Amino acid sequence: MKKYTLKRILTSLFTLLAILLVLFILMQLMPGSPFNDEKLNNDQRMALYAKYGLDQPIVVQFFNYVKNMLKGDFGVSYNISKNTPISQLIQTRLPVSIRIGGFAVSIGAVLGLMLGLIAALKHDTIWDSLATVISVIGVSVPSYVFALALSYTLGFRMGWFPMLYKEKLALLSSVMPSIALSMFTMASIARFTRSEMLEVMGSDYMLLAESKGISGGALIFRHALRNALIPIITVLAPLIVDLMTGSLVVEKIFAIPGVGSLLVNAIQSNDYNVVIALSFIYSAMYIGIMLVVDILYGVIDPRIRLTKEGD
Amino acid sequence: MKMRKSKQALSVPALAPAYVPTEEDFQLKDNQGELQIDTNFSAQSFWKDVVIRYFRKISAVFGLVMILLITIMAAAGPGMNPYTYSEQFLSQKNFAPRVKGLEKLGIFDGDESMKTTTGSKTVNLYQEKGLEDVYYWFGSDNFGRDIWTRTWSGARVSLIIAVAAAIIDMVIGMSYGLISGYFGGRVDMVMQRILEVANGIPRLVIVTLLLLVLQPGMLTIIFALMLTEWVGMSRIARAEMLKLKEQEFVLASRTLGAGSFFIIFREILPNIIGPIITQVMFSIPTAIFTEAFLSFVGLGIPVPQCSLGSLISEGFNSFTTHPYQIIPPIVVMALLMLSFNLVADGLREALDPKLKEM
Repeated sequence: MKKYTLKRILTSLFTLLAILLVLFILMQLMPGSPFNDEKLNNDQRMALYAKYGLDQPIVVQFFNYVKNMLKGDFGVSYNISKNTPISQLIQTRLPVSIRIGGFAVSIGAVLGLMLGLIAALKHDTIWDSLATVISVIGVSVPSYVFALALSYTLGFRMGWFPMLYKEKLALLSSVMPSIALSMFTMASIARFTRSEMLEVMGSDYMLLAESKGISGGALIFRHALRNALIPIITVLAPLIVDLMTGSLVVEKIFAIPGVGSLLVNAIQSNDYNVVIALSFIYSAMYIGIMLVVDILYGVIDPRIRLTKEGD
Repeated sequence: MKMRKSKQALSVPALAPAYVPTEEDFQLKDNQGELQIDTNFSAQSFWKDVVIRYFRKISAVFGLVMILLITIMAAAGPGMNPYTYSEQFLSQKNFAPRVKGLEKLGIFDGDESMKTTTGSKTVNLYQEKGLEDVYYWFGSDNFGRDIWTRTWSGARVSLIIAVAAAIIDMVIGMSYGLISGYFGGRVDMVMQRILEVANGIPRLVIVTLLLLVLQPGMLTIIFALMLTEWVGMSRIARAEMLKLKEQEFVLASRTLGAGSFFIIFREILPNIIGPIITQVMFSIPTAIFTEAFLSFVGLGIPVPQCSLGSLISEGFNSFTTHPYQIIPPIVVMALLMLSFNLVADGLREALDPKLKEM
């Protein structure tokens, strides 16, 4: 297990470094300069380049960059808010995004589990079909469609929730974006729970448990669900990552001051440092989640641990 | 319930010794009827079976029909009225939907209820401006462009993306996985590390950065998809390859002198075509979504061309005052993604009957 964990961590670190390199190269290829002001003459531009270290050889720039990134110093923003350290920009926005993402994952996981359980327990009934229809729609309809539909009905027509994010009503404003984002998670987990539960319930050890006289809640929760949950953890990781993408659009629709909208702004105004920093953070989070899930999976399911150690 | 039944069954032999068998207990079993159950089926090809199983599922058929319908409309829709996707009539902005014939029924008659400070009132821009013989089937947008034409032009873009994604999956992802799995050893090791790195970068990051470096447009989007879409497929192809490559028929083929290329693409590929097709179908909605997402953020197809994503983005700006502008692209988009998912589900079951549903 130790060897496997170490190997996974090393791979992750290497991936992270490779990502930094890719990001850096892409940034070098990018059109336009961060200093687009026409009033600047050549000397002034050179002075600015020198100030931000953009006149040094690319290799030096890259190593400086990696060094700074690992220290958590992402440089300063050129355009969006001049000379503000990016880490500061992100600090105010990250909690908002994480809160909404967290709500969405929790809502999605709980509702998805319930839906999947109902579908599996009432297999081949109207409830099963209903759950299937809901999950197919949830998987296939993009989150911003839900966001717009919610915004129009609950926000505009009913006026129950604010249509645009308000700092003062942070909780109330998070309701609609969280629901819109959670739909995909919910649907995927529901599908997965259902098929896993059906498989587990048809297994021999469930028959044994049943014939030993265990029944009802204990049978379903302690014996079936616990075993069905193991594979579900693996789908949760990519789902959390998908949430990040979805949140970009949803943040735009509800005008949420989160990381997603910052990234979109940065892209549109050529703010190199911000784009690199956010891409790096997204990638780091992604790799971190994948790593944690892989290791967790090994801890929970000894079969995985043993086979992976084998090769 | 199960328990009680089995107890009864167990208690029967305990009574048995008391019973003395008579002549009537032994009779010839007339198994003529049972033999007839064993009918012969004519041999059916795998694909015929697949088609039969596929069409047995209503949702899969629904998906297929919807995709066909949208494809037909994307091909013919823009030509069905005199407008073009980029032509602007600035005097005919924000007209509500109006269809000949249907207008007499009270729907699609160009009426639009506006919310004002004094309450809501109904306006009809066609009558106000005296344009009684003008019809916008889905209404007109903020620049006086026909939404019907634009929606179906946008659907075209999504469908082209879908086809491109499928081809990318088939060509790059499948080959990568098959080669990696077949050769194994060091080749596999290097290829898998590359894949891990490629997979470690969020798709969103690759695609957005690439679109900044290159000119936004259809080709760039397809190129971006090419860099990101193949990973899932190559994993599946590799896993299937690992399952099959040690089997006897591969060994037989190799003994007969077949080269690696022949074994991979002629011997093994036909055996794993089921999971491959399923994966292709599942990757299409992702590709469509990626394009729509990019257009929504403003990195997609450049104006005045349009895609469903950019139409939704435009409609979003005025969706509280003119909701009809955003409904057509959203409905087409949602239906398209739903249909591809349904078709993929149906295909998965049809191609692999052992598999559990859902």
